[in-house]
Amino acid sequence: MARLLYLICIFLPLLSGTAILIFRFRSARALKILTVACICAASAAAFAVLSADIRETVVFLPFSRTLSIVFRLDGAGRFFLGIVAALWPMTALYACSYMDGSSHLPLFFGFFCISYGITAGIALAGNLFTMYVFYELLTLSTVPLVIHPLTRDAIRAAKIYFVYCMGGAALGFASMLFLLSNGAGGMFVPGGTLSSHPYGTDITCLFYLLGFLGFGVKAAIFPLYAWLPEVSVAPTPVTALLHAVAVVKAGAFAVMRLTYNSYGTALLSGTWAQYTVMMLSAFTIFFGASRAVKAIHFKRRLVYSTVANLSYILFAFSLMTPAGQQAGLLHMAAHACTKILAFFCAGAVLHFNGLTMIGELEGIGKKMPVTFACFTCAALSLTGIPPFTGFVSKWHILTAAAGLGSVYAYIGTAFLLAGALLSAVYMFTVVLHAWFPGSGFSGLSVEHVREADWRMLLPMILLAAGTLLCGVFSGPIVSAAAAAAGM
Amino acid sequence: MILFLILFPFCMAPVCLLASRKSTAARNLTACAACLAEFAAAVLLASAPDLSFSLPGICGLGLTFLSDGFRKIYCLVIAFAWLMTTVFGSEYFSHYSNCGRYYFFNLMTLGATMGVFLSSSLTTALVFFEIMSFTSYTWVIQDETEEATRAANTYLAVAVIGGMVALMGLFLLQSELGTTEITLLYERAAQSGNLPLLYAAGGCILFGFGAKAGMFPLHIWLPKAHPVAPAPASALLSGILTKSGVFGVIAITCNLFFSDQKWGTMIVLFGTVTMVLGAVLALFSVNLKRTLACSSVSQIGFILIGIGMTAVLGPEGSMAASGALLHMLNHSLFKLVLFLSAGAVYMNTHKLDLNEIRGYGRRKPLLKAVFLTGALGIGGFPLFSGYVSKTLLHESISEHAAALAASGQSALLFRTVEWLFLISGGMTVAYMTKLFVALFVEKNRDPAVQARYDADTRPMRPASAAALLIPAVLIPLFGCVPSVFMGRIASAGTGFFRVEPLHHAVHYFSWTCLKGSLVSILIGAGLYFGFIRTCLIRRNAETGTREYVNLWPARLDLEEVLYRPLILRWIPSVLGAVSAFFGENRVSGRLAGILFLAFQRLASWFGTNRITGPVAGKLFSASERLAAWFGTNRITGPAAKTIARSSEIGTHAFSDSLDAFVFLLRRTVYRDAPPPATDEVSTSSAYRLGALRDRTVSALGGQTGPETDYATLYYRMKVTENRVRSKLTGNLSFGLIMFCIAAVAVFLYVLILDRI
Repeated sequence: MARLLYLICIFLPLLSGTAILIFRFRSARALKILTVACICAASAAAFAVLSADIRETVVFLPFSRTLSIVFRLDGAGRFFLGIVAALWPMTALYACSYMDGSSHLPLFFGFFCISYGITAGIALAGNLFTMYVFYELLTLSTVPLVIHPLTRDAIRAAKIYFVYCMGGAALGFASMLFLLSNGAGGMFVPGGTLSSHPYGTDITCLFYLLGFLGFGVKAAIFPLYAWLPEVSVAPTPVTALLHAVAVVKAGAFAVMRLTYNSYGTALLSGTWAQYTVMMLSAFTIFFGASRAVKAIHFKRRLVYSTVANLSYILFAFSLMTPAGQQAGLLHMAAHACTKILAFFCAGAVLHFNGLTMIGELEGIGKKMPVTFACFTCAALSLTGIPPFTGFVSKWHILTAAAGLGSVYAYIGTAFLLAGALLSAVYMFTVVLHAWFPGSGFSGLSVEHVREADWRMLLPMILLAAGTLLCGVFSGPIVSAAAAAAGM
Repeated sequence: MILFLILFPFCMAPVCLLASRKSTAARNLTACAACLAEFAAAVLLASAPDLSFSLPGICGLGLTFLSDGFRKIYCLVIAFAWLMTTVFGSEYFSHYSNCGRYYFFNLMTLGATMGVFLSSSLTTALVFFEIMSFTSYTWVIQDETEEATRAANTYLAVAVIGGMVALMGLFLLQSELGTTEITLLYERAAQSGNLPLLYAAGGCILFGFGAKAGMFPLHIWLPKAHPVAPAPASALLSGILTKSGVFGVIAITCNLFFSDQKWGTMIVLFGTVTMVLGAVLALFSVNLKRTLACSSVSQIGFILIGIGMTAVLGPEGSMAASGALLHMLNHSLFKLVLFLSAGAVYMNTHKLDLNEIRGYGRRKPLLKAVFLTGALGIGGFPLFSGYVSKTLLHESISEHAAALAASGQSALLFRTVEWLFLISGGMTVAYMTKLFVALFVEKNRDPAVQARYDADTRPMRPASAAALLIPAVLIPLFGCVPSVFMGRIASAGTGFFRVEPLHHAVHYFSWTCLKGSLVSILIGAGLYFGFIRTCLIRRNAETGTREYVNLWPARLDLEEVLYRPLILRWIPSVLGAVSAFFGENRVSGRLAGILFLAFQRLASWFGTNRITGPVAGKLFSASERLAAWFGTNRITGPAAKTIARSSEIGTHAFSDSLDAFVFLLRRTVYRDAPPPATDEVSTSSAYRLGALRDRTVSALGGQTGPETDYATLYYRMKVTENRVRSKLTGNLSFGLIMFCIAAVAVFLYVLILDRI
């Protein structure tokens, strides 16, 4: 049963995506319905796995004694799978509206399905090798989505994306080899597979750092973040789902696996490697937020905000305590929900009204009330205003950092709060522009603006309610994260 | 019950919004009914025994609520103030637009404010505090004029920064003490003993809540936001919302730092500065609502002094605590009355400048009586309620100063505070006299305007008049029989300050108590006649009339001088510098170039086995060990060259394979896409293929047009490629890739050699 459900989660979208690519549908309507149906079915399977609390280990393909494709779901994996399974169907619906009027739909929807299966694979991966394979496949399957508009910018962005991800993969590969040759087959176990430093502390730290940077490429750690702003040329569903949730969160998730389940926090905490990664992510928080404040392009501003927020997660993970892991997982969920919502709103503005710059949004809230009410929720949550979900996760990160008590943690919290303050600046300038245009505003500039259609509004409203309700009734989520972190 | 008080307004807010779509009458009815129900609930809560209540897991931290004496009293005050302002608002807003929005957020704010005052832990308070800050933002920006937008932005900035800083303090507290339950703070802090951390945490929380209370130097939002907000909102902002900040200050001062001399003295000093500064600002102001707003700042200073004195005196601080509590309550009442009166003036004249509205109140006995009551109350005249609270505060300071002097310590500080207290009281009398005289005694400079004002004998509807009258009646009522009302309230509420209720009855009308008040009144009279009438009223050379002038130098505006440049200019320029320095372009230019070079060097060091000792500290010793582990001697010069070459090929292969993919796409599924721009061809392999095709075509006798002239294209491509390459090679990731590929190749090399 477990085997079947696992396989449905992964291979149903994979195969249906491939089928979409092969049998090229003439009818856009049939194509969209098929895509949404497949994704919903896979999500249903995922939720069945989650609700039945299946934790079986399934060896899918044994290659050798140490190398095999193994699926297993533990607490952290459940968290990631839950995020992916909840958000993908909504994005699918959103994409149906967003992709109206663009060509080559089979290509888009095909790879869209395939990347779902692969992301589910990352969540379900039971050992390092499996995760690495799916991680690489994710890069490959998302390049076509970035390249989809086939403009010059898109091709350039795809190139940069590809080069960065491959570079990161090479670094991660080095780290993986180290673990495979010294750990017990690279299975993910709480506390890690390394029992001691095989070649001294420095070598372990060096390889951990290589791995952190390698997987950190996808999590947009400074200085390896430059691909993320570039790929914002992709269609908004892709930017929203992949480059605010699936791909980047896969990077953060991989870092978490590396830290907590492979190297083990016992070996790493207190080493120079830990302090390096803490400071790197703390700096990225500040850096991303300051770039976002300076950005005047709507989507780019959100992208830089993603850069900053991913480092919140990495910072929490780099604390290397159970509380840190819990906080990181929480922020992963909170940020996923919030940022995808913000991107949906930006996409709705872009798709229906062709507006891309923040200066053009003056007074638009009166014409797109639902969209901007949702965006306001996203802004509140991202800034960390109670009772929205962003507040809960930020609170946990802060208390986890204060609980560590080291100087580096306090420096990190200072950066974190500065980042939160800047996020208030960059989000609320948009919100205030949209709602309160000021006295010189005549309404002429937004005369032809129209509200998005239901296929966009429904996911947005659901997500906005989600950011609020997950914040207010956050008890179960917090305890699930605590359980995942072994607290 | 508690939950109802908090959630009911939140539920009614959308209902009210829907009702306002329908009609104005429906909206007013819904809003008033909601406030009335809320008031009834507050009365019920106040008559019920103390309740406590918690919602674990909500908002990640769990929310906890409590209703004790202080909280019950304040819930009553809040519900009462909301009811009065809403009743008054139905007339005030009859000519407004965007009212649905106002009413929606008004009710939301009510719920959030209730939440703040009913919370029993600081985190719960902060949750509702933040909600309250954001929902009340819409009050300030209601008019959407330029001034309102500016004031609202200031308000929001102060609220957000204050909230963040308070959050920082709270998590420090949480991690140090393990709780933020207000009642537990003192015991836990005594156990912990980590004073520097507690002071840091307390300072952060004080910053956050003090910003809302209007404490110096964070008072800047008050004098801006209150005048631009609609009058009912100003009354609430000033009377209630500032008190939520005070609530937080009490929570830490009287609980976390209970009987901590240093902390208490600091709060007293902050309070003194706030009190004097607010009063001086109010003295100079020529705008009716701005004067009242500055007066709020000043009165908050009085309250802060009381709170600080409670902490200084510790268990003996009953008098200071009662004074602070009663002054909070009184100030809520006064500001309700005064701002609503100002609203009545504004509603009819649409002006707030003292010179313009001068003489409006003549022949309006009701308005005059109500305003006078408020003014006498806030001025601390005997028989009015302000007298009671000010007397308590004054007595607590002077008793402490006397006690210090008796024990031989220096009482200079507290003597100074006492005198400043009396002088500020005098200034209060002076500026209230200024307002009263301008509005109700003097005639307008323009006789036509005065005639129009005099003709307007019914300034408001009966309902609005009642909303003004009811709170106004309470002021002398409380003041005449202090022990009946005020004494009971004080003894019910002081538990929150961790002090016992007053043991002995205070003889409010004894000579010692009256003396302080009389000194203040005399100072006030002196100031009014000696300063305001002589310096602040000038004869206008053109019209020949005497006018109020604003002599306060604009340069002394803390916001314009410090905060706005700091936030809008200095910090962004630092941010800009950071992002420009570390951004993609610069990184590509300098930093990454250097890093890349370093990687290359590192690779060549690997190759030629040049690292022999601890050359450059830890990094190199680590890489040395790495090299030893790889089998240093095996990797020789040629191998390094091969690695470098292969990595170069590898990078090209990346680029080429992507081009091939694009090409494939164009040939298959993208067949109908627009033709590529000519300079998109990239690598030399493309050129070779293209040139071959050119030659074939010409050999077969065909024509090669300019589009397919691959020699030109190759030239263009070279230009593009150079651009791309400079971008790529300058990029850190390129360096990383080279390094990784080298590392991977070394791995394979070692593995193979090891096996053989």
